[in-house]
Amino acid sequence: MNRNRWLNLLSPLLLLLLWELAVQLGWLNRIFFPPPSEVLVTLWNNLTSGQLLYHMGMSLMRIMAGFLIGGIPAIALGVLMGISPTVRALAHPLAAAIYPIPKIALLPLVIVVLGLGEASKIATLAISVFFLVVLNVAASVLQVDPRHFEVARSFGAQQRDLFWTVALPASLPGIFTSIKLGMGFALTLIVGVEFVGANEGIGWFIWRAYELYAIDRMLAGLIAVALMGWALTTLLDELERRMLPWQTTRTPRTPRTAQKKGTHLMETIRKWYRLSRPWSYTAAIIPVALGTIVAAYHGAFSLWLFALTLAGTILLQAGTNFFNDYYDYVKGTDNNESLGTGGGIFQGGVPPHHTLIAGMICFVVGSLIGLYLVSVAGTMILWIGIVAVLVGFFYTAGPFALAYVGLGEVAVFIFMGPMIVIGAYYVQIQQLSLPVLLISLPIGFLVAAILHANNLRDLDNDRKVGKRTLATVLGRTGANIEYYVLIIGTYLSLLVVVVLGIAPWITLITVLTIPTAFRLMRIVSAETEPHALQPVLRQTAKLHMQFGTLLVMGWLIAWVLEQVI
Amino acid sequence: MATITAEHLTMTYAGRTAQDPITALDGISLQVAEGELVSLVGPSGCGKTTLLRILAGLEQPTSGHYQIRQRDPDRPPVAMVFQQAGLFPWLTVTQNITYGLRLRGLAAAEQAALAQRWLAAMSLERFAHSYPAQLSGGMQQRVGLARAFAYNGEVLLMDEPFGALDAQTRLLLQQTLLETVAQTRQTLVLVTHSIEEALTLSDRVLIMSARPGRLIGEIGVPFARPRDAITLRAEPAFSALVAEIWGSLRAEIEQARQAELHAA
Repeated sequence: MNRNRWLNLLSPLLLLLLWELAVQLGWLNRIFFPPPSEVLVTLWNNLTSGQLLYHMGMSLMRIMAGFLIGGIPAIALGVLMGISPTVRALAHPLAAAIYPIPKIALLPLVIVVLGLGEASKIATLAISVFFLVVLNVAASVLQVDPRHFEVARSFGAQQRDLFWTVALPASLPGIFTSIKLGMGFALTLIVGVEFVGANEGIGWFIWRAYELYAIDRMLAGLIAVALMGWALTTLLDELERRMLPWQTTRTPRTPRTAQKKGTHLMETIRKWYRLSRPWSYTAAIIPVALGTIVAAYHGAFSLWLFALTLAGTILLQAGTNFFNDYYDYVKGTDNNESLGTGGGIFQGGVPPHHTLIAGMICFVVGSLIGLYLVSVAGTMILWIGIVAVLVGFFYTAGPFALAYVGLGEVAVFIFMGPMIVIGAYYVQIQQLSLPVLLISLPIGFLVAAILHANNLRDLDNDRKVGKRTLATVLGRTGANIEYYVLIIGTYLSLLVVVVLGIAPWITLITVLTIPTAFRLMRIVSAETEPHALQPVLRQTAKLHMQFGTLLVMGWLIAWVLEQVI
Repeated sequence: MATITAEHLTMTYAGRTAQDPITALDGISLQVAEGELVSLVGPSGCGKTTLLRILAGLEQPTSGHYQIRQRDPDRPPVAMVFQQAGLFPWLTVTQNITYGLRLRGLAAAEQAALAQRWLAAMSLERFAHSYPAQLSGGMQQRVGLARAFAYNGEVLLMDEPFGALDAQTRLLLQQTLLETVAQTRQTLVLVTHSIEEALTLSDRVLIMSARPGRLIGEIGVPFARPRDAITLRAEPAFSALVAEIWGSLRAEIEQARQAELHAA
């Protein structure tokens, strides 16, 4: 088995190597057959300049639009066709007749009707997705085991219940399959559609390369299409796994087969992804987004740098989570009775030192990204990065672990708030400004509130094991007041920034979250039991996400308005 | 007054040709008293399942009529247990159990309480959030039973519920069923091809003929309830009754086999 996997890798590598050699030795004409190394460099250059990403994004948008417009009605009609013989008799011959027409052949006709613009491209995609999906969905509804309908009827299901509780869920796997088919189809088609009369998009990118006779660019474009296809398929698979949990657990008793073994790597990645506590990522995403959008508002924005900053910050966050898990385990504060987010080692059945290694890998890769950003944006980022890594590591590690001496909130406030916002801002615009510090304060308050909600919940347990948090130092009453201060500070600091004219007034749409904030403060004042306080932790994190999203959206709207006016 | 009253139920299907309809049931009349446990046995293809499906409201008889008396108008008339459980694979065990309750529009709290009760009664608590595909056949049929009991029909209809299970599991589930029905005091109509099962589980065994299905005999089961599904088999009277029912069925089975050969 292992040997075969190596052989799988061997043949393409060998081919690439031969190709490279043949060009380098002059057996193949470099103009017609640029060597793989050259193609990779071209791909890299086009990716990092943001150009290729832009064209991929355009194509993706068209695919999405075509899918929404064509796919959703197709699913509805397909299910109806499957259930009702009348609808089937009316629609099936038509759909079956149109389905085999190569849809690219419809493009000229669509252009005549809709013109050369965006509409004709999306319409062509929508039409082809529609016919493919409608027939497949109808077929999958027809294949639903009739016994299911019978069982439902014996429990008094009416026609409407049969649709919602049997026909739809039972045909969801088939619907997913047809969506996946449609996605492959759409990808094939988008390239063809963009060959004709487009000024952007991955198809145009390839066609343009052909016109310029830049074969390396052409090949880079092809690789990009392959990557898009792979990413979309993976995304749909993941979505299917989440939406149809009963499908993936279908036959757990059967021994692992060869086919299963192939997905072992994916399983491992998934497991570690879960252990890295992905729900905590918003704590990193929101400050990065805020710093970036403020920089954009101040006149500088690069998508590429934004993506890198985001990736680096998330990796540092994940690494911190791993270290945190490991040292909490070593110091014995997490145990089997631990509630909630921590305790990954216990819940995942992972050897503790693996967690340590995972944390290190995250830090190393995150640091590499950081170093690249340093090379682009200057040493300022280096200092921020070094301090962030140190704080991340010493948060729970070492003799002076911040989380154990009551400094957790302060550390989190500074580094998950102002520090990241300023860093992300600096990466874009390469200058510091005091207003940015002020702008970032609300996020700092809220992220500290998340940590504090955690400590509030664990107050009694932490006291027992001697973990010093600000909450255990302040006592129950003081800790409750701290929570109010953090929440009210969030809104107050934003208000001050708006009144001072530093932030646009539209960022005040964040007041939409005030009812949630009030509700949380009321629960905190009334409850002391860990189980009753568990929702406060989750909801405070949610509040951070909602407030942060609204804040970023406010800035985004302000920026767009600025551009337009 | 009887809970189930059926008079002259006849069921014919269109056959291979219009001139040659198939008569599945031929004038079946029966009465089942409240709280009575009744089994239907007969050669395969005799229409016993068809009879059950008519009582469940899944099919309309060609002629004749039947009535299921509801003492409590809020209670559904029947709850059915299917061959091989008939669970919905996309619902968890708990969701399967509450399926009928949801359709009836019970409050969520009430649904949860009933699910909890029947999960416990069928020793399924650990599997509350599993999907059917993760369970063994015996476990799946426990869920099927829990679903029917939670639905709380006036009459329980069971169509060879344990037919696909191995002998040990089958005995254990029979015992569970006996104990549960003793508590709920529901009326039970059970279709089975196992004479032993019919004798173990019922007060009265109705014997049906080969197609077209008619009632050709009935045997009162003399064993007092509560019974033990396992020790019951050791009693001499048990084997004597098995032999007696076999006696009345032998000719019918032979006839059904001939008809099958003829058709093939």
